[in-house]
Amino acid sequence: MPPNVSQGCQGGCATCSDYNGCMSCKPRLFFFLERTGMKQTGVCLPSCPNGYYGIRLPEKNTCTKCKADCETCFYDSFCTKCKRSFYLHSGKCLKTCLEGFENNNHTMECTSIVH
Amino acid sequence: QKAIIRVIPLKMDPTGKSNLTLEGVFARVAEVMPAEGKLLQFHPLSLCNTSEDEHTVRGFITIVKLESPERDPHPCLSLANKAKLAGERGAEAILFDITDDEGAFYQLQEAMGLSHPVVLISGRDAELLMEMVNNNQEAQVKIEVKEQPKWPEYD
Amino acid sequence: AASTEQDPLPSCTPLCRCHRDGVMLWVECSELGLSAVPGSLSPFTAYLDLSMNNISEIQPHAFYQLRFLEELRLSGNQISKIPWQAFSGLYSLKVLMLQNNQLRRIPAEALRDLPNLQSLRLDANFISLVPDRSFEDLRSLRHLWLDDNALVEIPIRALNNLPALQAMTLALNRIQYIPDYAFQNLTSLVVLHLHNNQIRSLGMHCFNGLHSLETLDLNYNELVDFPVAISNLGRLQELGFHNNNIKAIPEKAFEGNPLLQTIHFYDNPIQSVGKSTFQDLPKLQTLSLNGATDIREFPDLTGTTSLETLSLTRAGIWVLPRGMCRQLPDLRILELSRNQIEELPSFHCCQKLEEIGLHYNKIREIRADTFEQLLVLWSIDLSNNAIQNIHPEAFVTIRSLVRLDLSNNHLATLPLAGLSGLAYLKLKGNLALAESFSKESFPKIRVLEVPYAYQCCAYGACNSFFQPNSLWEAEGTGPEGNEIHKRNLELFPGHTDSHYDPDMDVFQLETEESKLQPSIQCTPSPGPFKPCDYLF
Repeated sequence: MPPNVSQGCQGGCATCSDYNGCMSCKPRLFFFLERTGMKQTGVCLPSCPNGYYGIRLPEKNTCTKCKADCETCFYDSFCTKCKRSFYLHSGKCLKTCLEGFENNNHTMECTSIVH
Repeated sequence: QKAIIRVIPLKMDPTGKSNLTLEGVFARVAEVMPAEGKLLQFHPLSLCNTSEDEHTVRGFITIVKLESPERDPHPCLSLANKAKLAGERGAEAILFDITDDEGAFYQLQEAMGLSHPVVLISGRDAELLMEMVNNNQEAQVKIEVKEQPKWPEYD
Repeated sequence: AASTEQDPLPSCTPLCRCHRDGVMLWVECSELGLSAVPGSLSPFTAYLDLSMNNISEIQPHAFYQLRFLEELRLSGNQISKIPWQAFSGLYSLKVLMLQNNQLRRIPAEALRDLPNLQSLRLDANFISLVPDRSFEDLRSLRHLWLDDNALVEIPIRALNNLPALQAMTLALNRIQYIPDYAFQNLTSLVVLHLHNNQIRSLGMHCFNGLHSLETLDLNYNELVDFPVAISNLGRLQELGFHNNNIKAIPEKAFEGNPLLQTIHFYDNPIQSVGKSTFQDLPKLQTLSLNGATDIREFPDLTGTTSLETLSLTRAGIWVLPRGMCRQLPDLRILELSRNQIEELPSFHCCQKLEEIGLHYNKIREIRADTFEQLLVLWSIDLSNNAIQNIHPEAFVTIRSLVRLDLSNNHLATLPLAGLSGLAYLKLKGNLALAESFSKESFPKIRVLEVPYAYQCCAYGACNSFFQPNSLWEAEGTGPEGNEIHKRNLELFPGHTDSHYDPDMDVFQLETEESKLQPSIQCTPSPGPFKPCDYLF
């Protein structure tokens, strides 16, 4: 093993190094760049952290950022939970719901107004 | 052209002992000029077009520890373009630790006129800097242009 | 209040890390080497993470008391089957993560007791069998991940009764065909990912019923024909079918999709495109069509008024319509390299134009009105054409020009008016261009490429000729007298075996002012056989 490769590779790593953490992941795990303070290290996860969604491709699985108003998302154009003060409607985060819907402050979603 | 790299921890150690004065060399891919900013480490794979620009505040100095080429056989971008991307993402300067990738020196000698200086460090100086990074010790970095001796060496 | 194992809350499970969220408890037990679901779980658990352990089996009723549990993570274990009643009692469960396990079929029976489930992750398993009634009771299911499995067909009947489903991925499977009406009851579906399958053909009506679909991803498949089945997707905004084998895009291809904003179809052997294929797409912002060699005419873009980036390279276009800019008022980037263009219209009406790429065409001249009044144009690439003359006022009204590439043309002179802001100028290959440029001509220049070395002398390139770069070597003391860390670093043994050339086909640019008078890189730099004096 090259001298600088850390013995303590985090569980999901295929290759890693002392300073950079994971350089590649075991199959089917998502590669994520985690920042703590001034350090940025690679980690390998079964699912991406909040604020990111996973893209699976044959050669590599990576985490990509959701939109700014979104806390968790399925895809960059489809949010599954909005950040505070936004209401979720069909994958979009709205400051206020559209006509025919009302702001549900409990679920923070737009609920259809049933006439 | 050589560079003097002064590293001043933000959480001042009263004796100032932990200040570092290191040396590197300016890469010709970019301007030879001084720079200053807060030290911020970037993973080599973070400087790819597909990766996130998660840092929004400008005015930092990037430090990237390059891995040996065989451990990154298909780099997403050339080192020159990684340096350019770092500058576009707000870096005032880019420090490459090339201890494990000696070939990096040659990849960064073709003039591309990047306006943020690129400095290469290696060996003991790099180790000292990376130790600070590893301990997550926040620091301010000043890069200075080391004056050439009056009479340049002739062959 | 956060707890640790040393100071456990009464109901925190040994080894796990817990923290309280009001009355509820978040229990984190990932990567602990657990081989079974812990027994002593608090009934007030709202979030339970058991991912990345060695759990291979889940006992019936394993989570029976957890009536408040909203999120259960079992990803990254060895689970190959899940018995009926494994999840019984989880009335509040919204998110269930089973990705990265060993499942070969959908655990249909176990999913029967989850009335409030919204997100179900089954990706990265080995699922090849989806029983018809797999998702029968999941009335609230909105997000379904089935990507990276072994599906060979669309599980049509299993998907027949999911009225709330909004997002689904079936990517990275082995699906070869999508039959008609495959998704007909998924009326709420907004996002459908099918990339990285082996889809060769589509039923004409395969997307019928997807009234809400906005994003369709067919990238990395084996489609030979354009997916005409999209004509029913009236709300489609984002369409991808890049990396397929499609040779033609017919007229009226997108007639049924007026809301399209992005279409990605690069890396297809597209030879021909209908002249009005991209008409009436008022939301389309980017159109890139490269290598369609059969295209002879510039496409009719009437009604496609929001286009900002148009890339149409490696085709056979030989003339640009005079009124093209009136159709494209928002155009910022125009990339028409490697065509057969001989003459340029005036781009005057493209007022937002920032970058123009016209390299590798047959352009002969630049007129006074070609780039007239383009106030935000900062980059022009006209290299590798046949330009003999440029009107003296061709660049006068361009305020922001920073990069100009005129390499490999037939220029004998260069009009300087309007070029004072240049940082990058390339003129090499214009063999008749012998004049020397004074430093005042380009006060902001950074990178200058000229036909002859003597033309670099005005830029101090002669001085560096006598001062070879000193390689990096150990140094004793620094100028300030305090010890600079010594190292014996013979780093560069003198041979240049750089196995990697910088990516130079993209013309690099930095527009920001540098802090010091920048060093100017002028090439070719003079040398013993390329003297500073003009010998002829």
